[in-house]
Amino acid sequence: MRAVMIALVAVLLSACSNPREEVTEQLAHQVLLPAHQQWHDSNAALLVATQGYCADELDGPALKQGFYRVLQSWSYLQPLMVGPMAEGNRSWQVQFWPDKRNMVARQVEALLDASSPLSQEALEGASVVVQGLSAFEYVLFDEAVDLDTRSDRYCPLLTGIARHQQALSKAVLELWEGPQGMAAMLVDFPNQRYASADEALSLILRTQITAVDVLKKKLGTPMGRLNKGVPQPWQAEAWRSQHSIGNLQASLAGARAVWEQVRSLVGDAQLVSRIDSGYENTAQKLAGLPAPLVELVQNKENLPRLQSLYDSLDNLENLQQVELAKDLGIQLGFNANDGD
Amino acid sequence: MLTRVAAGGLLLSSLWIAGCSDEQPAAPTAPYDEAQARQVVSHYGELALAVYSDALSEARALQSAIDALLAQPDEATLAAARDAWRAARVPYMQTEVFRFGNRVVDEWEGQVNAWPLDEGLIDYVDDDYQAVMGNPGARANIIASESLTIGEQRLDLSDLNGELLASLNELGGSEVNVATGYHAIEFLLWGQDLNGTEAGAGQRPATDFATGAEATGGHNARRRAYLQAVTNLLIADLEFMVAQWQPGAENYRAELEADAVKNGLRKMLFGMGSLSLGELAGERMKVALAAHSPEDEHDCFSDNTHFSHFYNGKGIRNVYLGEYQRVNGDTVSGPSLSDLVAARDTAADRALKQELTASEAALQGLVDSAANGTHFDQLIAPGNAEGAALINGAIEALVQQTGGIEKAALVLDIQALNPDTADHQF
Repeated sequence: MRAVMIALVAVLLSACSNPREEVTEQLAHQVLLPAHQQWHDSNAALLVATQGYCADELDGPALKQGFYRVLQSWSYLQPLMVGPMAEGNRSWQVQFWPDKRNMVARQVEALLDASSPLSQEALEGASVVVQGLSAFEYVLFDEAVDLDTRSDRYCPLLTGIARHQQALSKAVLELWEGPQGMAAMLVDFPNQRYASADEALSLILRTQITAVDVLKKKLGTPMGRLNKGVPQPWQAEAWRSQHSIGNLQASLAGARAVWEQVRSLVGDAQLVSRIDSGYENTAQKLAGLPAPLVELVQNKENLPRLQSLYDSLDNLENLQQVELAKDLGIQLGFNANDGD
Repeated sequence: MLTRVAAGGLLLSSLWIAGCSDEQPAAPTAPYDEAQARQVVSHYGELALAVYSDALSEARALQSAIDALLAQPDEATLAAARDAWRAARVPYMQTEVFRFGNRVVDEWEGQVNAWPLDEGLIDYVDDDYQAVMGNPGARANIIASESLTIGEQRLDLSDLNGELLASLNELGGSEVNVATGYHAIEFLLWGQDLNGTEAGAGQRPATDFATGAEATGGHNARRRAYLQAVTNLLIADLEFMVAQWQPGAENYRAELEADAVKNGLRKMLFGMGSLSLGELAGERMKVALAAHSPEDEHDCFSDNTHFSHFYNGKGIRNVYLGEYQRVNGDTVSGPSLSDLVAARDTAADRALKQELTASEAALQGLVDSAANGTHFDQLIAPGNAEGAALINGAIEALVQQTGGIEKAALVLDIQALNPDTADHQF
């Protein structure tokens, strides 16, 4: 035992490896990269399913399963979108939310009126609103669209979106891989992106905490928190597919996966257990919701339950944004929701 | 055995800390001179006073122009009122950097500058008008209606006064029900912009305000009353805000100056960064561009968006440099954040100044484009690659600048930037 200890000490002292570097490396290879891979796999599967559906080889429910799987992997990915997905307008091409003015319906129908049958080229030149999951969901779930009888009109769009998403996730994945890829930037410091592991860790945490803030928005907006308490069911994310709560759960799981890796760096053991139970409480409250969010917000009796969930998310955000950041001694900087 | 391993683990980690800590503990010297920093915060109050005072005086000039329009509604008086509105926006847009971080401003702002709006709440709109889903007030048309029923509530609209109009904001819980402020006045002066992403702004005729045989639009007495009431309310609101920044009074400025100096600096930086990134780069440019959505354009009726964005940017620069050029040409200047940052880290100060200059040049690009006939709503058109590049350049410059603001904050030892949560204990 003693010999092992001495050897370990020697190794540690000589290499002086930085525990923050170890954590960013673990995050890259065990959490971030796999989440991007999973998202890409689900897009590839959706493309196959869409082509099958449009060739009359697959039924509607099977196509919907493929769509739910993409929603799931995309929601999981959101707290983990450092690097390529956060750049350009890549993430906007995946989903357009909130869509208060029902731009999805208008832009989809206008595009199909103007260019039918739709070419991939026309779709690539169009707005992000019609290139992503929100438009796919509109076609697949909206009552105004009779997909079975109008597949000639809508199938080129569905296939086009699935192809666009598959190409997008493939391109992003390629930016993660390889010696100059994003994953490598989280292993050796300094590099062309980050001067230190601290800087990288700060960015990862900022992304994750911003995503938790977005979860508050995704819950609070349909609850009517921005609207004097008047519920706004049609402003729920994924209200057409009634998948809002599933999305929230997947995003929370993604955020938690980051925390699981960061935990070892925290000095204050009490803070660790408070954040642990913050995740646990929030997950339990989400799991206990009995109906889709678009329905829940329309019944006043559900309000205390939703409010309690909102408070849990708020607590979790603050624990990380204020106390975790302080414990780790990092500045989280501005995020896109500041001032909102 | 297990215990020993655990203890060994603890020992190892403490050894690691002892052996590997190459980070020096923070220098014990203060990140800035406390007295100097206090002057910086005080001068920030002075800047706010100057810019809100200018916003008020320009709003009064707008009121005179509107009085002239109503006295004699013709294309010349309408054009003059529109010019006065544009001029009133120059100082107002420079106040917005004070909005984020100072709760007194943020809570007041909705009645003054809320946007985007479902304008069908206020007046007649085109058949193709697209409102927010589920907004019960989307086609309320206050000008055409003496009363309004929303849910079980029946509202008497017969007397159009500021108080009534303010109470109609967020009617039925919808944030796009905006009955007051600059954008309500803008809609009354220009009307809907029906050109989408093509050239041209709103084309409301002056005869919408006429009362004789030439009158158009309908319900013109009420439209006139509405315009007058909403303008008077804007002035009262700006008077309130000017009073909040007067020195030597019991007001918000006194609170700010009495607070810990670090909180004052934090508010200044938070206002700069929030406007720069989330609001201007995000809400006001990226959303409209990515969705090719003229409804998400900031000054969508007047097509004055380029100047709104430019003067938003100018406001950020003003706060960092402690400078403001008043409407009358005078310059207000004094102790600044830049002084504090430069005293400790000249490179960080120089970098942020360069970034502020670069973002101003990028936003100037939007102004130049408008001067050459291509306005913001044309730049966001589908397929306009050049327009997208111009706007993306401005977004990118603002993102860079926000990074510089974060670094400046670190120089001043401000890690938590959000004043709402910075001191909060959980």
